Amino acid sequence: MELLKIPEEKYYNYRLNAMFNCYKWDPQFYDSNTLAKYVLLLSKQENEEVIKLTELLDKETRLAEECINKNKKMIKKLALPREIIKQIPNMQTYDKSKNIRLMRYDFHPSIDNNWVVTEVNSDVPGGFAESSLLPDLARKTIDLPKLYYTSFGEMMVNAINDKLNKKGTIMLIHCTCFSDDRQVMQFMGDRLEKEGYKIIYGAADHIKFKDKQAYCILENNEQNIDLIFRFTPLEWLIQMKPRTWDGYFNTTTKSCNHSISIYAQSKKFPFVWNDLEHAGISMKTWKSLLPETIEAKDVGSRQNFIYKPIYGRVGERISIEEACKGDEYKKIIRDVKKHPQQYIAQKKFISKPIKADDGKEYHICLGSYTIEGKHAGYYARMSNYPRIDSYAADVPVLIKG
Amino acid sequence: MTGKEIYEIYAPFAKKWVEWVRPVPFVAIDTYNRKPISNWVDRKVKFLDKYENDTAIFIDLTGKESIELGIGLVHIGYRPIPIFNGTDEQNGSKATTDTYIVESSLINGAEKLKKIEIPNDANPAFLLDSSRINRYRDKKSIFDNSWDLYGQDIPSIEYFTQNGIKKIIVVGNEINRDLRKIFLKFQDAGIEFYLTDGYSSVNKLVLKKKILDYLEKEEI
Repeated sequence: MELLKIPEEKYYNYRLNAMFNCYKWDPQFYDSNTLAKYVLLLSKQENEEVIKLTELLDKETRLAEECINKNKKMIKKLALPREIIKQIPNMQTYDKSKNIRLMRYDFHPSIDNNWVVTEVNSDVPGGFAESSLLPDLARKTIDLPKLYYTSFGEMMVNAINDKLNKKGTIMLIHCTCFSDDRQVMQFMGDRLEKEGYKIIYGAADHIKFKDKQAYCILENNEQNIDLIFRFTPLEWLIQMKPRTWDGYFNTTTKSCNHSISIYAQSKKFPFVWNDLEHAGISMKTWKSLLPETIEAKDVGSRQNFIYKPIYGRVGERISIEEACKGDEYKKIIRDVKKHPQQYIAQKKFISKPIKADDGKEYHICLGSYTIEGKHAGYYARMSNYPRIDSYAADVPVLIKG
Repeated sequence: MTGKEIYEIYAPFAKKWVEWVRPVPFVAIDTYNRKPISNWVDRKVKFLDKYENDTAIFIDLTGKESIELGIGLVHIGYRPIPIFNGTDEQNGSKATTDTYIVESSLINGAEKLKKIEIPNDANPAFLLDSSRINRYRDKKSIFDNSWDLYGQDIPSIEYFTQNGIKKIIVVGNEINRDLRKIFLKFQDAGIEFYLTDGYSSVNKLVLKKKILDYLEKEEI
């Protein structure tokens, strides 16, 4: 991997264009600029290697989740929210051929020159526009037209066309109070509108289910929905009051993602791998890439483990001491002691920083998407310390031919 | 003018504090083809006689008033920093918060602003829409586009203090709940708060923790 600096004199316009043409509406987090001044270059070999590993991981994950869905013993080990456990009987109608399965696997280069995968964003991965439009903007900005990339957006459009054949209404479900959710949905909505779909933006409680069919209740938009594209995490959705969310678990309306996504979203997913292997599902790729993961309560005197919340997102509350700010580390450890069941412990790996062409070093998380089992582009973020969290910067990924 | 051109007027290249200008309403100006408002009011600043080196301002009035007063503050040396972050509702549906007026008023504000020179290091007047926190829906079929301001949407306490800010004046009827949550930490760091409705002189304010603040889960 290489980091190529965007020339200083071109960066202001690059940032402006990212905001206005590439749906980057959240370019600042406290004092951190969240749009990198770099482009991440992958060699052809690195790209091929990551694609291969991604698709192997995805195959294992998809087989695993179908198996878990029918196995109460495994489900118990995932520490799912009680309200979701109650919905599992409703999820038995899951038919993968009727839904679109989207995931993103987080790859990190390690100091021993191997890839480490720290998690799968199984439920509602984001970063769509950053992976679809930003690489092209970067390619034009640095004037290297021969570098190429896979557009997540185009892959998703193809997957949706396969299911809906360019006809119908798609509802983009998100937390309507958050512009950073809307930017993800707006990119997808604008692109799908060009394909001829009717697009409705709404919150999870704007859908009612009748005979398992999704129906939009937004004023002047009342109609049946042909595809639910959900960006509201399931563990948030079940907090919705009044309770109108049961239908998401057994709807016959096509979904991306269906609620089956919750199994691999739990960071306790590795705790069922041995059971899965006994059931005949190989978890070989996962086992080779994910650092050793144990219950938080079992760390005891074992060294070099970090804590992660079971449903954490964007690197929040991960106890990498040197990456924590102020008293954050102490607060996390205090919280782990109070609620060990809400965390897992993972063997710490040493992230290998990538030296940019200006000599500065950065840590990278290379998110690799899959749609329906196929690799579907990259969403990468970089940080000057070894944790990729909300302060990290989005960096477009381009591939050398 | 396009939304992008208007954004550039509020967030010109290499000026202090402009990184926090939020692009959301400016993008919407193009998406929804917004036009300037017809009832713009040029507002004079009544609560402050002159520019103060150690003072930042948060204007928390309704969107249009906030932008009008923000432009008024330009005349005594402050830089308006719009941090509106609400999105527009689904076409045809009703919304909890009116974002149109904010988007349109920003166009009028830009017309005024482009004619005025602001010093590079001018202190900020952050512009907010007080109706952002209106989350009430009498029917579920209404689109909730209310929004809160979070600590991450503005500079850190350290950035404020390192840039000489010791006082923050909030222009509004009260300190709204989202601002209160952020400002309690600022106050702990030694920043003083003052409140004015925009007409009367500023009053020093001590933010007090409420029971709910103590009960809230520790933020990590």
